[in-house]
Amino acid sequence: MMRIGIDVGGTFTDVVLVDEAGAGVKATKVPTTPAAPEEGVLDGLRRIMALAGVRPADIGFVGHGTTIATNMIVEGKGAKTALVATRGFRDVLEFRRGSRHDRADLYDLHFTNPDPLVPRFRRFEIAERVGPEGQVFAAPTPEDLAALAAQIRESDIEAVAVSLLHSYANPAHEEAVATALREALPGVFVTTSSQVNPEMLEYERTSTTVINAMLGPVCTSYAKRLIEAVHDEGVPARPLLMQSNGALADPSFVTDRPVSLLESGPAGGVTAAAKFASILGLDDVIAGDMGGTTFDVSLMTGGAPTMRNHGQVQTHVVRYPTIDIESIGAGGGSLVWVDEGGIRIGPMSAGGDPGPACYGRGGQRATITDCNVVLGYLDPGRFLAGDFALDVDAAHRAVETDIANPLGISVGEAASGARRMANALMAQAMRLATVERGFDPRDFVYLCYGGAGPLHAADLADELEIPRVVIPPFPGVFSAFGMIVADQAYEFQLPVNINLDQLDESHVSAFCDTLLAQARQELEGSGFRVDPDKASFRADCKFQGQADSLEIPLASNTPRDLDAAFKDTHMRQWHFIPDGRAVSLLNLRVRIVVRPGEWVGSGSSVRAEPVGRRTVRMGSAARDLPVYDRVSLEQGTSIEGPCLIEEPSTLTPVPEGWRVSVGPLSALMLERISRQ
Amino acid sequence: MMDQVELGIIRNALYAIAREMKGAMMRTAASPIIHSGGDASAAIFDADMQLVAQGNDIPTMLGSAVISTAESVRAIGAENLRPGDVIASNDIYTAGGSHLPDVQLTRPVFFDGEVIAYVMTRGHWPDVGGQRPGSYDLRTWDVFGEGLRIPPVVLYREDKPVPDLVRMVMTNTRDPQSRHLDLNAQYSGVQVGDERVVALALRYGGDTVKAAMQAALDYAEARTRAEIEKIPDGTYRGEDFIEPIDAGGELLPVRVAITVSGSDIEFDFEGTAPQVRGGINCPLPVTLNTTWFTVKAITDNTIPINQGCYRPITVKVPEGSLLNASFPASVVSGTTDTAPRVVDMLISTLSQAIPEKVIAQSHSATFPSLFSGLDPDPERCKRLGRGFAMVAETNLGGMGARPDKDGVSTVRVLIGNAGAQSVEYIEHSAPMRVEEWTLVENSGGAGKWRGGLAARRRYLIEFDEASCTVIGERQRVAPKGLFGGGEGGTFSFIIQSPDGESRQVRDKSGLATLKKGDRVTLTAAGSGGYGDPKDRDRARVASDLANGYITADAAEALYGYKEGV
Repeated sequence: MMRIGIDVGGTFTDVVLVDEAGAGVKATKVPTTPAAPEEGVLDGLRRIMALAGVRPADIGFVGHGTTIATNMIVEGKGAKTALVATRGFRDVLEFRRGSRHDRADLYDLHFTNPDPLVPRFRRFEIAERVGPEGQVFAAPTPEDLAALAAQIRESDIEAVAVSLLHSYANPAHEEAVATALREALPGVFVTTSSQVNPEMLEYERTSTTVINAMLGPVCTSYAKRLIEAVHDEGVPARPLLMQSNGALADPSFVTDRPVSLLESGPAGGVTAAAKFASILGLDDVIAGDMGGTTFDVSLMTGGAPTMRNHGQVQTHVVRYPTIDIESIGAGGGSLVWVDEGGIRIGPMSAGGDPGPACYGRGGQRATITDCNVVLGYLDPGRFLAGDFALDVDAAHRAVETDIANPLGISVGEAASGARRMANALMAQAMRLATVERGFDPRDFVYLCYGGAGPLHAADLADELEIPRVVIPPFPGVFSAFGMIVADQAYEFQLPVNINLDQLDESHVSAFCDTLLAQARQELEGSGFRVDPDKASFRADCKFQGQADSLEIPLASNTPRDLDAAFKDTHMRQWHFIPDGRAVSLLNLRVRIVVRPGEWVGSGSSVRAEPVGRRTVRMGSAARDLPVYDRVSLEQGTSIEGPCLIEEPSTLTPVPEGWRVSVGPLSALMLERISRQ
Repeated sequence: MMDQVELGIIRNALYAIAREMKGAMMRTAASPIIHSGGDASAAIFDADMQLVAQGNDIPTMLGSAVISTAESVRAIGAENLRPGDVIASNDIYTAGGSHLPDVQLTRPVFFDGEVIAYVMTRGHWPDVGGQRPGSYDLRTWDVFGEGLRIPPVVLYREDKPVPDLVRMVMTNTRDPQSRHLDLNAQYSGVQVGDERVVALALRYGGDTVKAAMQAALDYAEARTRAEIEKIPDGTYRGEDFIEPIDAGGELLPVRVAITVSGSDIEFDFEGTAPQVRGGINCPLPVTLNTTWFTVKAITDNTIPINQGCYRPITVKVPEGSLLNASFPASVVSGTTDTAPRVVDMLISTLSQAIPEKVIAQSHSATFPSLFSGLDPDPERCKRLGRGFAMVAETNLGGMGARPDKDGVSTVRVLIGNAGAQSVEYIEHSAPMRVEEWTLVENSGGAGKWRGGLAARRRYLIEFDEASCTVIGERQRVAPKGLFGGGEGGTFSFIIQSPDGESRQVRDKSGLATLKKGDRVTLTAAGSGGYGDPKDRDRARVASDLANGYITADAAEALYGYKEGV
């Protein structure tokens, strides 16, 4: 059986095909078709089947990640949405709690404040009130519900978000509103905050629910068109969608919670990295994905990616379990420029089109990729297996104009300086990602992917004193692998808001049972079989009085164990434990794995012989280095640096003092053997 | 010559460290005003106590930290500091503080046996003792009534808290458990900063890091000077009026003459009212910061912020005036309520020189009210592990209109950056209910570009008895518009008792005792408009009307707009 993974990015749609029988891996890239992304998906599907010589009927699995959700919010193309709030509180969405968390610069008087997600004239109120313990102060009347439905019907909207105060403690009023609206407004996407994000803090919950509503109609129809298109093509598999939490889900689940798709694309790469690392037996891994516009960092500890439960999209808060990714504007296409303070990198990017100057598609400005071309890292004739000739002169001119001339240095020095600066920024992002969570980067293995990732791998490891680097096969399309190897899993949450010292084991068990029962009801209702042994629980805990919580895996149902685990984590991260403070259990979360993912793919053969030599500028000196073809290196091969390992989508420099070997799963393993 | 690339790398790293310090602090603090309001700041100073990098924090705190870091180190003596020592301070007259609730921790960073930097964290503590809960009483005789004065003292010796001193500080606050958590959080912040700066020195060498700090200061100065050069030379005069403590009192003039000469800029506050009895005076660091903020705001915002930006600035303020209080004047609301008014005045004054860079006036009150008392609900007390409940309300008012954009509604403006508290969190943690939180129509001044709107909140009091402090700047002096733009709405605070009787707290410093069942309606000030309202795009007027940002009457009277016409 064949498995296909499809990653729809902003510019390219990456497709990989894996033969489960081990006959190899095929990968291709086709242009993304933003107006109707399923067309690009179909194009990729046909292309990869032709490349591999397989028939649609042979495809038993299609996993799919997409940036459609993020792009809709970024481009302001969400559905025409109404908000229903508690009477007196419709402006909570616009206040955004008043802080300037959206502002990069507090001294900027001229910043552009984003428009409210829903304009005020489409924010409606209903007379009702629930208290923080779920007590009902006022219930909505049938007359009010009917009047509300009539009002909303008149405003010709496509989606409604219902977010009432304290609905996490008692969802009855939200459910009553939703029921009334669904009856009165057939075909309109109606979503409630108690379903999407049942936890305290009204702005954060409302914002999440509104974004869910804005995504609902388009994501629903996209999923439908995708399923039909794949089916019409003769592929028997029903496509699964990648969620922000790194798990694949059936489209029926995701279309109720499209907010779970916001980090769909990047989550694929991290998930692939986590699976890959766990098969190699690597517990603590820092993953770096250097693509065209950004450098994305994520962590895996004990084999699982670090998660977070809140984030922002276009400065609007979203609370949903998401793989924790730190992103900086330092990708291969990031522009390099100069001001009085020296060399600056990004955040502007040449993107995929026109792309870096060396692409020869009209880009004039210098990018990191252009610097790598000038330094000799990228072979103009062999880039992307020669499909794509690089214009070395254009790269040279751009680096000269944008960097060398303003600084009065040579082109080589300029390119080398820009590369150092980019390395420092990426290393800083990796450092923050580890140390802000209480880890030491030196204890980690660096796993890197993305088209430009391997080019900088050893340098970043040197910056951070990381002794080992792993480069998976097909790093340029690695995210698409994630769509194939991820678990199919679903997440649910339950608000608790009780101190641990007031709970015993039976309480915690009861909460877990309640949450599991809710999850089963929804999943089994959709035809999934739920194995309670495949449910893993996590708890959001904080010291009473603190605002931010830490997420702790629930190893047992004993509150004392949870208390101890929380304090360990708190100590590691923040260096202190306050005296006499109770620990509060805010939310319980469960992840239910319906079908575990597994690593498939790999292959390779023969002996280590250089296929050529190339002159590369490393630091201040130009060096003539042997070049090896990655696909010809067999497992167990070991070569000492300096050398270059080349493959169609990228190149891995192995500096002096490093050794490269080929490990299981065709992984390139770099190890530092001596300090320079 | 220093390696330009390395300089850039180190400079970036210093800002990242400041960010990490603030993060460490915010995520562990007990006080909502620190952890969700974000009323906390972190910064890095060189060995000469020059600010070299700061987080994206609270401008007013960071400006004051410039003075208080230097004062803290001088008071103890750099030669007496050892690795792991942490100096605490909050005092106005011995430590360069801004007001007593802002407590600063300062820590030397040692490398190779010498100090190569100082790191500091500053947090707003919701209580530091004094006459009333919340330490925000404007009606004090002098600074002693405002709370515990902490001159620079070594609170941690070699990473060990000095127990007697910590106990002494904690004993003087009303919620010592939470304050302890706040202190720990700030300590985490400086500890992280110390570790990171040392790591930087290990990587690049102590001398390189020191040189990079100096280069960063010079760079910021050079770029700021280049920007000031672009402002037409001349002296620009401005005047405004600060509201006195009592409703019946005379308005207090503040005056400035801003002289731009080449790449230098001078602010002379001659003519400003003398200091007054009560906590509305500004200590000098607070006034200095109003000028620093203003210059930063009107120059290119890509200039990285550090003390180099302030070198072209000279400031003259008469001693013993409202803007340069002498011992022992009270100052608690100078930084939160008087200073924003001064910034508004400075920016309005500069509209004479650089109309395209300034904005209309904004709301200013930062902490309009504090509610506190014993929590009558034993269940909640048990759940939260405390008996005393306090809510510090953070106000959401408007930010003035800009030369090419509307103002911003309900946002922290200018020198403050603390957010509003969640309604659900307030109700979860205190005996109060919020009955309404809504935008105030017509509170944004009319103009070609409209001012940002204010918010109104109504509370139902469920304390048996609560102390309530009101700080109501901008009740009498509305935020002004520019170039034909109209004024914004004013502040009000109204108490309605269960029998329906209602009273407005008109004093700027109002004290009220609230009873169960009272309702409090708090309306923030809006902001001024920019340009003639008649020139406003009709589609924008129509949209404002549809959204209820303005009423039909206002559309017609101020904008000459009639619906459907």
